[in-house]
Formats: sequence, C-alpha cells, structure tokens
Amino acid sequence: MDLSYTAEEEQFRTELRTWLAANIPQEWTQPGFWRSLDDAESFRLRRDWEASKTAAGFSGIEWPTEYGGRGGTPGMKAIYDEEMVRARAPQTVNVLGLTFLAPTIMAIGTPEQKAEIIGPMLRNEVIWCQGFSEPGAGSDLAAVSTRGVRDGDDYVVNGQKIWTTNAVHGDKIFTIVRTEPGSERHKGLSMMLIDMDQPGVEARPLKQMSGASEFGEVFFTDARVPAKDCLGEIGQGWRTAMLLLSFERGASGVGQYTEFRRQYDEIVEQAKHFGRSDDPVARQKLTACLVELECLRYHAMHILTQVEQGRDLGSESSMTKLQWSETFQDLWEAFDDVLGPEASLAAPRPDVDLTPYQAQAMWSRSVTIWGGSSQVQRNIVAERVLGLPR
Amino acid sequence: MFFALTDEQQAFAETVRDFVADRFDLDAVRAVVEDPDGDGHPVTLWKGLADQGALAVLVPEEHDGLGLGLLDAQVIARELGRAVAPGPWTTSVLAAEALRLAGSPEQQAAWLPGLAAGETVGTVALRGEAGSWDGRGITVDASGERLSGTASPVDYPAVAGLVVVAATDAQGVPGLYLVEAGAEGLAVRDQRTYDGTARVGAVELADTPAEALTGGTLSGAAAVGALMARGAVLTAADLVGVAREALTRTIDYDRDRKQFGVPVGSFQAIKHTMADLHVGVTMAEHAVLFAAHALDTSEPGDPGADVAVAVAKAKAAGAAWDATGAMIQFFGGIGFTWEHEAHFFYKRARRRAPLFGSAAEHRERLAVLTMDQPLS
Repeated sequence: MDLSYTAEEEQFRTELRTWLAANIPQEWTQPGFWRSLDDAESFRLRRDWEASKTAAGFSGIEWPTEYGGRGGTPGMKAIYDEEMVRARAPQTVNVLGLTFLAPTIMAIGTPEQKAEIIGPMLRNEVIWCQGFSEPGAGSDLAAVSTRGVRDGDDYVVNGQKIWTTNAVHGDKIFTIVRTEPGSERHKGLSMMLIDMDQPGVEARPLKQMSGASEFGEVFFTDARVPAKDCLGEIGQGWRTAMLLLSFERGASGVGQYTEFRRQYDEIVEQAKHFGRSDDPVARQKLTACLVELECLRYHAMHILTQVEQGRDLGSESSMTKLQWSETFQDLWEAFDDVLGPEASLAAPRPDVDLTPYQAQAMWSRSVTIWGGSSQVQRNIVAERVLGLPR
Repeated sequence: MFFALTDEQQAFAETVRDFVADRFDLDAVRAVVEDPDGDGHPVTLWKGLADQGALAVLVPEEHDGLGLGLLDAQVIARELGRAVAPGPWTTSVLAAEALRLAGSPEQQAAWLPGLAAGETVGTVALRGEAGSWDGRGITVDASGERLSGTASPVDYPAVAGLVVVAATDAQGVPGLYLVEAGAEGLAVRDQRTYDGTARVGAVELADTPAEALTGGTLSGAAAVGALMARGAVLTAADLVGVAREALTRTIDYDRDRKQFGVPVGSFQAIKHTMADLHVGVTMAEHAVLFAAHALDTSEPGDPGADVAVAVAKAKAAGAAWDATGAMIQFFGGIGFTWEHEAHFFYKRARRRAPLFGSAAEHRERLAVLTMDQPLS
C-alpha cells in the first residue's frame, strides 16, 4: 500500500490550487449563487470560465498533448477532480463531450475528426450533447428508432431524443441513428455527429421534478448530416456506443467523495443548528452514510490503482456507479430524517436558506436512473461479474 | 497510488488458503462443531499455522517473529474467516500485540517467542458483561498487581497459557495486565456459544496475582485503545472472509440450482440481491485494507485512523450479517439444515459481529469523531 501521489503530481496540485484560488470570484462559491442566476446566464459564465481554464492549461488533464491536453497521469486527473470540488469551481458545461466523445475520437476517429473536434470542444467553442435515449429506448438502448436515410453524400435523420443534457445549449450532438432500414436491435446503427444549428433540429428544455432544466428533448425533422460525420463505421454504431460508454470508467470517485463528504459535513452543521446532532437515531442515520462514503473513497483509490496499472476495469464500473449513486441518495434522505419537518422548508428560520440543500435532495433522485439505472447496473454486476445466468 | 496487496502479500494469502483448504476442510470444521465438549483447538491446524508464520506475523524479528504489519495479518484473518477455521489465532495474535505495544523488553523476551511459535496460546480479556468496547466496559479492578472481577466473553480462555487482562486501578486508570494460566484465584467458566468454530468463556479473577504491562511504547488507556483497534480490524478481516466465502458458495449454488425449469440465479430477485451483496462485501474488503494500513502507518489515537477502524468494523459486520443470512435464504430449505455448512458461516458472523464493538457502536464512534468535533 502506498496512498501518496508522486512529487510531480503534488506539484501539479499546487499549481492548480494556486490558479483556482486566483480565478474563481468569491461570490461564485457562496451557497445559492448559481441557483440565483437564470439558466442562460449560468451557462454563459461557466462556458467562458472553463475556456479560460483551458487557456491556462488546466483542461484535458490526462489527454495527450497532441490533442491540446496536459499529458498528465491518472493521479493528476484524480487530483484535478478533487481540487475542483475543494475550490467550489463551476461545473463543466461540456461534460458529455469531454468524458465520452473526446476519448472515443482519440481511439477511433478519422484524422479529420481528431483535428476538427477535440480542440474546439476543449475551448468550449462547441458544446456537445449526447443523443442516446429516446421515449421508447431508455434502459433498452438497442430499441432506438431514430432513423437516417442515405441521400447523396448525406443522411437525412428523423426521430426524437430525450433526457438530453444541455439540449438547449448544444451546438452538436453525437447521436445513435438507425441507418439501415429494417434493421433491429444492435445491428444497423451508426454514431452520427449532427450539427444542431440547422432547421431540421429543434431542442426543447424539459423541466425536471426539481424545477431545474438540465435536460431537454431534441427533435430531428429531415435533419441532414454528412456521411463523413459518422464516428466509427456506418452500421457499427453499437460498437462505437459501447466503446464510448466505457470511458465513464475513470477515477472520478476521488472527486465525488470530496464533494459528498463536504455535503455530509454541511448536513451535520445543519443538524447542529437545529439541535438534532445529539439525537441517537440521527447520529446512526448520518454515520451509516459516512461509512458508505468512506468506502467510496477507498474504492476510488482501488480504481485509480487499477487505472495506473493499465488494467481493464470491465464491468467494475457498474459497482462504482451503484456505490456512489445509492450512497448519495441515502445521504440526502438522511438530511430529511435528521431535520424532520424543517427539512422541507425553504426558510425555517429568517437567517436559514435550505433551498440549496433541497435542490441536492431532489437531484439525488435522478442519479440512480441516468447513466444506467441501478437495476441495470445490478444486472450487469450479477451477469458479467458474478456469472449468474441471463 | 497503490491501494492493493503486493504480490508478496497475495502469495502469503494463497499459501495460508491452500494450507487450510488442504489440511482443514469443512469436514474437519464439522468435527469441531459437533464436539462442543472438546477444546475447539485442533493441534494440526495450530501447528500448521505456526509453520506458516501465521502466529509470528506481527511479532518483532528480535523475538523470533516476522515483524510484519496489520496489513499482512489481516490477510491471514481473512483466510481463516473464509475457511471458518476454529482456533485461537485472533486472540493469541492480539495477546502478542499487547506485549509488543505495552510490554517491557523483558516481558516481550519472556513471552513473544513462545507466542510466535505457537507454543503458548494467548488470549485477551478486555471488557465485562454489558460493557462497551472503548475501555469504559472494563469490569476488572486492579489493586497493585492483583486483579479481581470477571471479564467476558473471552475467546479460548481454557487453552490459553497467558491472558492479557484490561483492568482499572484504584485511581481509575485503565491498563493491561498479564495473568498466567494456573494463577491463584483464576477460574475459567465455559459459556458455550452456538458458534461451534470457537470456544468462549468467562475469566473470573479473585485477588489473582498479575503482572502489569509497563515499559513499552504505550500504556494506560492508549494501550487499551490500541489493542481494541487492532482487535476490531482483525475481527473485521475475519468477518470479510466469512462474507466473501458465503457469497461465493451461494452464487455457485444458485448458478446451477433449477426451479421452474431454470437456474434460480437467473431470477432478478436473486441477481439483484447478489449484486448488492457483492458491492457490499467488496467495499468491506477495501475498508479493512485501508484500516489496517492506517493503523500500520499512524500514531496511536490518530483521528483519521480511528475513523478508518470504525468504518471497517461497521461495514464488515453488516456485510457478514447480510451475506451469511443470504446464504441460508438462497440455499433454501437445505441451507437451514444441520447437515449443510451455511450455519457455520452464519453463526460465526453473528457471534463475531459485536466483538470489539458492534456496527452501531462504531457508527456512534464515527458520530463522536465527525459530529461532535469542530469541523475542519
């Protein structure tokens, strides 16, 4: 066991921490600041800030330098995630592009795609959406029915995507399209990179139960996409999609732990304010969550070790997803268990604003659905890790 | 970052695993379980473990030990848990730890070589009936170097040549004392437990001559606390081994067992439970590794290590309850029979879960550490 980072990695931490301290306005770190802005303003601020971070060399941490990345180690990426949370840095606006699309392009993109897509994404000149889920294809992704028909050098696309993060802000969308008429399930699909700024594409915000609109719907009505803007081969979209989703398997647990542990501490502070921190049941509820959070931290170190050793994580990412998402949800249920009737009030006292807490509590309902629901993850663990029959 | 066992540590685990599987299989375990009047301390197993260095693991090299850390010791504890192996390994190793941490060089020289070689069996008696596991539960009083009171439950007191007793002196200061088998006023009362893989008794002391452990690195409450922490981690490691083996056996069975014309393991009600158990047991394994490493690399009383120990014990106890209960459930009726081995695992988990602090006690400990302190 050696739980330290290298001297070079710690040097990177110092540089990043210094830059973040100098470049995040104080007011941005106050609770409720981001919620006080309208969606468009929030997005613009974050988009510009992130571009300045890229210019300073603090984006694409573990990407090769030929793509504009920093060429850093997996440990540096973990440190980056941790420090971003610690500094209360704005959340990225290009999460799906950065997490999924960019590494897929590096792996299987054409030279033109590598040259034209990654740089502008890193500089936030192009915001990418992910067009996977449809009204009839949620957990069952192979049921997609959005179709593309060849027309000269283009495909003409019709259909609808849903639960699309940043739909109304997106410039382009990587989309699973059924390009082979009459094909079924995993066959005949293609990963098309579609320009959203065209008459055939309409994005509508989708108001969530929390009141926010991070998601949206995207409608394709005779939208056009050049055949060359296919990622991977035409008809091999399922393979491309699986490769793309495999890039979720990183060391992001370090940053998640840091964030959730801070939330635990904040809930404890509220419990103290409301005279609930001595209640034996409240103490048991909260520390049961802490046990799981600490396990998430150890698990993140385990995963980081696997990544550094160059091991394929395989289906282990399903275990990671279950641990963080179920724990996060339990933590925000504990918030209500601990505060009781006060938990549901925006201003239980004149000087207390609980709305940022409630926003987290409501958001926590989504995390066991998106990115593969807990039920799907349990199937994956049972079948692919434990070898139980289908 | 290297959060894993080294190749050497993995090889050590395999050696212990192969030895136990080869020389002490479930039939041998059953023989011990079905002989409750026996001492539950099979000599072949004990000698073999001694030959493997399993008793010497934490003993310093100058006292004929291997001088390794708790991270290495937890490897052995997990394998013994996995094999539901009977015998006083945990408690004897803890007695040696008490000497290493709190004993004088003379006391160490007198006892550690024998403990490392397995010639002496040690045990620890650290709390009394209904007492907590944080030092406040000590029910033995020390008057100079004479002890009175009853410590319970104590693992394997009947075969122990040396008992490390936690006692409180006239000033209310806790400390560790050595009591030798056969000492005047020492009585061991067999308490019987449903966990047939262990033998448990009460250690009754009536003005019994003892020797205070002094002159070591730690003394007083710090020594008691350090021993409790090590007991918690080694017990957690045993529980994690029990949990992993119970889960593996259940999965193997449900992959083949057919009902309604299909393997029962194809039903989602079972799959999802197994998946959750696998996540839980894996997290408990991580937590035990981290806690053992934390104790190996920190000063006694380090708050980070205290958190790690509490997390590991709370998580391991829960995982073992869950996995062994599921073993009975998902073997169905056969799992509830005496002939089946599921009850070895279940009973071992159930008895050991509260030792060195239950899951609830360790969660309360976490509350003290993270809710009652000023936030950093």
